Amino acid sequence: MSTAEFESVQTLEEQMVESAAPRDLAMDARNLSVWFGKRKVLEGVNIAFPERTCTALIGPSGCGKSTFIRTLNRLHELIPGAALAGSVLYEGKDIYDADVDPVHIRLKIGMVFQKPNPFPSMTIRGNVMSGLKLSGMKRDDHDAIVESTLTSAGLWNEVKDRLDHAAGDLSGGQQQRLVIARALAVEPNVLLMDEPCSALDPASTLKIEETIRELSKNVTIIIVTHNMQQAVRVSDNTAFFLAAENEPGHVVEQGLTTEIFSNPKDQRTLDYVNGRFG
Amino acid sequence: MTILFSEQTSEESAAQKPLHPWRKKPRKFTISVALAVVLPFLVVLALLLYSNIPGALVMVIVYLPLQLLAAGITAVYNRGVRSIGDSMIVVLAIGATVFSLVILMSVLLSLVVRGIGALSAHFLYQNSVYINPSTPLEYGGIGHAMVGTFLILLIASIIAVPIGIATAVYITDVRGRAVPYVRFFVQAMSGVPSVVAGLFILTIAVSTGAFNQSAFAGGLAYAILMLPTVARTAEEVLKLVPDDLRTGALALGSTRARVVLQVVIPAARTGIITAILLGIARVIGETAPLLLAAGNNDGTVLNPFDQAVASIPVYIFNNVALPYPDAVTRAWGSALALMILVAVLFTLARVLGRGRVGKY
Ligand SMILES: Nc1ncnc2c1ncn2[C@@H]1O[C@H](COP(=O)(O)OP(=O)(O)O)[C@@H](O)[C@H]1O
Ligand SMILES: [Mg+2]
Repeated sequence: MSTAEFESVQTLEEQMVESAAPRDLAMDARNLSVWFGKRKVLEGVNIAFPERTCTALIGPSGCGKSTFIRTLNRLHELIPGAALAGSVLYEGKDIYDADVDPVHIRLKIGMVFQKPNPFPSMTIRGNVMSGLKLSGMKRDDHDAIVESTLTSAGLWNEVKDRLDHAAGDLSGGQQQRLVIARALAVEPNVLLMDEPCSALDPASTLKIEETIRELSKNVTIIIVTHNMQQAVRVSDNTAFFLAAENEPGHVVEQGLTTEIFSNPKDQRTLDYVNGRFG
Repeated sequence: MTILFSEQTSEESAAQKPLHPWRKKPRKFTISVALAVVLPFLVVLALLLYSNIPGALVMVIVYLPLQLLAAGITAVYNRGVRSIGDSMIVVLAIGATVFSLVILMSVLLSLVVRGIGALSAHFLYQNSVYINPSTPLEYGGIGHAMVGTFLILLIASIIAVPIGIATAVYITDVRGRAVPYVRFFVQAMSGVPSVVAGLFILTIAVSTGAFNQSAFAGGLAYAILMLPTVARTAEEVLKLVPDDLRTGALALGSTRARVVLQVVIPAARTGIITAILLGIARVIGETAPLLLAAGNNDGTVLNPFDQAVASIPVYIFNNVALPYPDAVTRAWGSALALMILVAVLFTLARVLGRGRVGKY
């Protein structure tokens, strides 16, 4: 990657220097391009994710936000024909290096999906513990983990009396908070969330936003959202993705959320955050 | 002017009782439907009683068209021309259901009528040592054949179920390069005639002296027949497990093996049980492979490798055409016992497979 290319986008690191004391980066995507088969869907994405912050990824449908977020924990490669160039640094090391085990990466970089996907064959408690079981981690303090993660996810009070009920009996919003608790139980350092509230009612959405704000004190959060108010409420930084028709998506503008929403430099950003397209 | 969106509860609405206004039908509707049901029935009854056209023929060439016609006329009379299609479909659907139920019931009935005479406690647990075809029904039984069938099914399941499920997992979850070939092979295998499966075991194992005609050999032959059914059904049910669950498990840092064993298969558990049941149902009555690979025996054999073993299909085959009424009754009785065994097995599996949520 050439230096010129890298500097063409004003990186978060630079902005952090301007605005606050520099922090370590949890993750750093460098000059990332992504393909499905022959079709390039993302081009030259550079985003840095400082530790213990929440970054919102916004942009119209189909511009590659989900694709991008799935490259961050190596889920992208599971799709036949998937390809990628560039690098994704986690703790300073490229997660796509040949000697890196994707299973380990996914353990450290958790993910919550758009559609709640609790495991139907397990109880509520079983779902929370499933990450530990699936990843082969041994822990003794099961009850403590169940209580603390469900509390973090804002679900404990609603389910503490029925931990052994089927997870499928919960409402959509509760299921989504359950899978957040499930993701937290393996103690990830980064939590990716792909439109976690798009299928939820306003009350559940607010609960999850509260959860996100609370979590971002300890965990680095990267969230895709179509809800502008939500981005403002929960995130520290924002990156705006855009794809012209039949062109790969790219980052138009990124920076502090307050800046992006109050004082964007690009006209397209201004139009998008004000709901004029997308 | 009416005021929209005002608070509209009143004492009157609070006092409302549940009604079913859509069930109120005019008299002419009730009468015409009753006529449409009764008239064709009366015609058929008359034909059955006072003519010598065979009953089945009357049902097919007189009753069905007549009933369709009656339903059509009633539909037009009550609800106009557009409802003709509706009424025809209802008549055909009910007709088809009744038809298949009648056939099923007559099979069951003939089993019960001819076999019930043989059923007794000793019939189910005694074996047939010292029993001749002419021995009266008070003596002897099919205990040896029950044990044999059970052993053979057990061995076949132990072999075919894991391989079948593994094949399905290869197709749906491993998604390796050989998937099209595996699919083709499984499909081809489900076309293997049962007698060929028996011959295969007979020639490669029994004739070469590798092992005797036995429950094990019979189980192998059955396994060949079971495998494609289990594999294909399991593939269908594993496909129904949403990919979201697989991705979700992977995103938690799970290995692929754990995804399959702890998420996919448990999520598809009822379906997998159905796959196993269909596999058993596929083979349970197969006679030819057992005649060749398992042989026959009058005594009870518990060792699956040792010697030829009895089984219910072979027992039926050997007895049903004998010129002794008691032997024939025994054959029907064991067919009935086989049906009951299948019913018990299926009920048991359904109860076990009921959507219970596992503890972690
Ligand atoms: N599995 C896939 N195979 C091929 N193309 C895909 C796949 N998933 C997404 N795409 C394409 O990649 C582009 C980006 O999609 P996506 O990342 O889902 O957008 P977003 O999440 O921003 O709405 C879209 O044009 C979409 O059609
Ligand atoms: Mg998306």
